[in-house]
Amino acid sequence: MKERTTNIQYSFLFCSMLCIALCLLLSFVFINPESVLMLIVFNFLFASLMFPLKGSLARKTCLLLIGNVIDLFWNYLFFLFAFLGVNLFGEGFNGLYLILNPFANLVWIISFWSISLTALAESESRKTGVRIGN
Amino acid sequence: MVTEILEALFLILAVLMAAYLVRHYIFTLTVLKNASKRKETNVLTESAVFQPTVSILIPAHNEERVVGRLLQRISELTYPKDKMLIIVINDASTDGTGKIAEQYSAMYAHIKVIHRTKKEGGRGKASALNAGLKHANGEIILCFDADYYPSADIVEKITKEFADPKVGAVQGRITVLNEPQNIVTRLVALERIGGYRVDQQARYSLGLITQFGGTVGGVRHSLLERLGGWDESILAEDTDLTFRVYLAGYKVAYVSNAECYEEAVESWRDYWKQRWRWAKGHMQCAFKHWLKVLKSNKLTLKEKIDGLLLLNTYFMPVLALFSWVVGVPLFFIKSPQWFSIAWASVPISLYSFVGNFAPFFEVGIGTYLDGRKRAQWLIPLLIFAFLYNILICTKALTDLAISKLLRKNSNHWAKTAHSGNGNCYIMN
Repeated sequence: MKERTTNIQYSFLFCSMLCIALCLLLSFVFINPESVLMLIVFNFLFASLMFPLKGSLARKTCLLLIGNVIDLFWNYLFFLFAFLGVNLFGEGFNGLYLILNPFANLVWIISFWSISLTALAESESRKTGVRIGN
Repeated sequence: MVTEILEALFLILAVLMAAYLVRHYIFTLTVLKNASKRKETNVLTESAVFQPTVSILIPAHNEERVVGRLLQRISELTYPKDKMLIIVINDASTDGTGKIAEQYSAMYAHIKVIHRTKKEGGRGKASALNAGLKHANGEIILCFDADYYPSADIVEKITKEFADPKVGAVQGRITVLNEPQNIVTRLVALERIGGYRVDQQARYSLGLITQFGGTVGGVRHSLLERLGGWDESILAEDTDLTFRVYLAGYKVAYVSNAECYEEAVESWRDYWKQRWRWAKGHMQCAFKHWLKVLKSNKLTLKEKIDGLLLLNTYFMPVLALFSWVVGVPLFFIKSPQWFSIAWASVPISLYSFVGNFAPFFEVGIGTYLDGRKRAQWLIPLLIFAFLYNILICTKALTDLAISKLLRKNSNHWAKTAHSGNGNCYIMN
């Protein structure tokens, strides 16, 4: 039974890694190299700082996956916005996109980071039955 | 030619800011690693062996709303009363501060009040502390600001570190008392968590430069006398003392469980005044100590690197602004591939200065380790504090440059007003 659970966990981890790799690839092909850089930074920070925290591996992996999917949609939306802007206002709009894009990325990264930490803290307090302060 | 210079400048700035980001990342990782293997020591058993005499200095300038709360708490401290002398420095107050202090002095034999007239007092904290130092007789000098509220066993926790002869100063942890009051106090609380729970703890664990915060901490009396007391010409007298302690061959210890509450600034206006003083003072320290740090044979290489990064912290928001000023025209002049990638990395680095110059992940991990579930939701708002800090630090640098050019060292001590609103958060 225990061996089966471990196998499921490994399969889940493997699938998650594939999904993350797919997100990176899609980001590179359909958006731009900057969005790939942002995604790599996010994944690196999340994996190195969130995974050592208490909480189930499945929960943390799910959060990481959700983060990757959000990044993909967020950046694609912004890319379309820039595409529209260039068509309407000319090439100069690209500069605005380049300047605003990293800041727009930080908005979701930091918000998602806060939500993930809360989710992890919540699961921990539920498990131990301890009420965590505000 | 101009484009090349701008490109080089932009790249240097990006690298410099990335260095701070890496530093904070290492800090966060260290604290995370240590959190899992932390062992609680029995403070009372250790302090029973080592109990030096202590003089507690409390500088107070127009603090009638808060000084009574602190003195009441001081009278409840568990450290032996015969080994403590509390010195309240009524620094030219025009309100009832002196009267309140005298009332406590009449009640408790170990509380002493020094009154400074308008002529000699009101010139800042360093000057008041030096006046108090003349009356101190303890082996250890502790300092508390008038708006603070320490834990009852704080003296034991701080003094036990002095058992190590290499320790010249000890710093305790500061947490915000009036956190629920408004958005400013909540953001300051997050900054404090990042600064103390992660930053200070990591610096101490890694053997880097632990900062003496000038309050909720103590200094060895003999060392302080040898150093000539506090430097009154520097606005950040605490940072200055930190570096003088290290340059004298001593260390600063950090005790995370020696907790003390502070009444945080309640408005953006007060935030500006306080941070402007910190920024200008820190910049003064940078000019005073950077060469000494580099040349010192008492500091290790990692202490020198961290010391220089610490000294230059308040210049970084100004450089962040500068990188934007350089980066935007650079994009329109010429936009090579490396530039767009560098541009993407700059804001991440910029963000490393958010929250008293701690990045979002550092504050986040700090709040998590503290079990502060709801406080985490406010982390994205720290961007406003960061943008505000850019203006504050730019103003501080401009003021410092002007005073240096005019050769006029006009150190106006912008006192932080304390309303006493924190009283309602103290449970009887």
